[in-house]
Amino acid sequence: MLPSYIAHQDRGLPTMTIVTGEASQVRQPRTTRLDLLRQTWSSRADYLYVLPAIVVMLVVIAYPIYYTVELSLFKTPPGLQLKDKSFIGLNNYTTILMSNVFWRVTLNTVIWTLASTIIAFVLGFALALALHREFFGRGMLRAIFIIPWVISAVAASYIWKWIYHSDFGIIGVVLVQLGLVDRPPNFIDSVSTVLASLIVVNIWREFPFAMIMMMAGLQTVPEQLLRAAQVDGASAWQRFWHVTFPHLRGVSTVTVLLLAVANFNSFIIPWIMTGGGPSNASHIWITHIYELAFGRQRWGVASAYSVLLFVILMTLGYFYVRALSQGDQREPGA
Amino acid sequence: MNAKSGVSTLRRRRMDGWRWGGRIFLLFMLIYTAVPMVWMLLTSIKSGFAAMAFPPEWWPSEPTLASYRNLLDPENSVGRDFLRFFWNSLVVSTLTTILAVLVAVPAAYAFSRFRFPGRRFLFFSVLLRNMFPAVIFLVPLFILMRFLGLVNTHGSLVLTYLTFGLPLAIWLLKGFYDNIPVQLEQAARIDGATRLQAFVLIVMPLSVPGIIATAIYSFIGAWNEYIYAYTFLSKNEQLTLPVGVQRFFSENTTDFPGLMAASFMMSVPVVVLFLVLQKYFVRALTEGAVKH
Repeated sequence: MLPSYIAHQDRGLPTMTIVTGEASQVRQPRTTRLDLLRQTWSSRADYLYVLPAIVVMLVVIAYPIYYTVELSLFKTPPGLQLKDKSFIGLNNYTTILMSNVFWRVTLNTVIWTLASTIIAFVLGFALALALHREFFGRGMLRAIFIIPWVISAVAASYIWKWIYHSDFGIIGVVLVQLGLVDRPPNFIDSVSTVLASLIVVNIWREFPFAMIMMMAGLQTVPEQLLRAAQVDGASAWQRFWHVTFPHLRGVSTVTVLLLAVANFNSFIIPWIMTGGGPSNASHIWITHIYELAFGRQRWGVASAYSVLLFVILMTLGYFYVRALSQGDQREPGA
Repeated sequence: MNAKSGVSTLRRRRMDGWRWGGRIFLLFMLIYTAVPMVWMLLTSIKSGFAAMAFPPEWWPSEPTLASYRNLLDPENSVGRDFLRFFWNSLVVSTLTTILAVLVAVPAAYAFSRFRFPGRRFLFFSVLLRNMFPAVIFLVPLFILMRFLGLVNTHGSLVLTYLTFGLPLAIWLLKGFYDNIPVQLEQAARIDGATRLQAFVLIVMPLSVPGIIATAIYSFIGAWNEYIYAYTFLSKNEQLTLPVGVQRFFSENTTDFPGLMAASFMMSVPVVVLFLVLQKYFVRALTEGAVKH
């Protein structure tokens, strides 16, 4: 029914080309402004197809970005009466950079993002490799491993909150019964363990995503190459390192970036499980911004935070887009 | 001869090492993944008293479905609320899904097929949406919704949910369309079909797996969304499940069996949906995004 897919399977060495089609297109030399206008006008019907998507994006993204920048330069009263806001320049930004909480929260965010991303990726990748070979119960295992990613983060937070419970939590009880500790540890009520405990929950929810992506990627590694390497006497590790891994570089980059962005932006797990406490030990940027805005109603400072966040994300976004459009510059097989 | 067999034994032993390492790793991951879910289920069929026993009953001595009966009973207030939250979530998620497909399909098709100026810029700005967290947009969107009179309506949620589903949907679908040969449409055009007809009659049916994957993704995203719902809705009868459950259990902090039962019920629809349709999702990722 879909001959195109079969045809694509035999296309030799697949390169990581997510944005397709452009590579073959030859860029026209020197387009004048008039040409561009004419071209735009003649393809006006094409825009109708993308118009709904663009309108939604404009209303819900472009406008808020503009407004956030504006709010960050003003002092707005707690009730969000916009008429009474007063211009204070960059004061909100200096307030942020001078505060102690800022550095604490930034450190937390860095630890949270790096640890979650790296561990979730490694676990997901290893699982994808372990589940690549056919064996009894593989489909079943894969289904079980995917579930944490599908369920709501709110449900996951409550489940783990119950598991970490200081009196009846299952981990603490097991540790006590094994005689490792005298009384159940306070996983999420103690400053020293709270962040690590939340990262465990976050990884629990995210490794399945890495697994799915890497499983999809593994299917593009040509079987013949692996077999040829085996005939030539390459060990399992050598086959992985010299054949499999180079083929997965593109999909790995995208997966790591998507994970990093998702982790940088996570809110639900820390918000529901600890609300950022105890004493800011589990506050990350996003929860802190939320608390500043809707908890303490300091709209200006919260907006300034958002703008800083925006700048950081744009930098990350540059690499993200570059990774996605890699196939555009690279010739197939190069 | 001897040396050769020695090498192959060594290699076999190393292979076995890898295989055993893989098995132990799988077992570890299975425990990590499954224990929380099993514990949720076991707790949900205990009585409130049994859940607080020390040392805990691993297997409940008197299993009871009281928590589930409580949540699903329209007669009492807890059940009435829970069923309403459930219904609200269903309405919002379904509406979002339908709209996301309607918006993403033509956009992805245009990005795949047409060569209009600004195409790359628009495509990447759509993708960039993925980069930004809900919180950045929260304050201005709240003002916007207040301006549009949408605060405390499901419309505010559908509109915002659309935007976080769209980028990935467009990206996945575009990959799908890229893989459908243009010749099929050209043939249809020669036979007298308009461009729209060629799209609807030829391309759409071929991209059904991609559309299903898009729909699942949008539905799950909308079903699980918390932060906008938490901010835009304050009336009890409007709440969706994640917020409703949170609001409810912030008042009943010790009813863990009830909380676990609610978490389970909240997860069932999306888990079932995903497990039934996962092959489309994985295929869409493979065909549309990763492979070319």
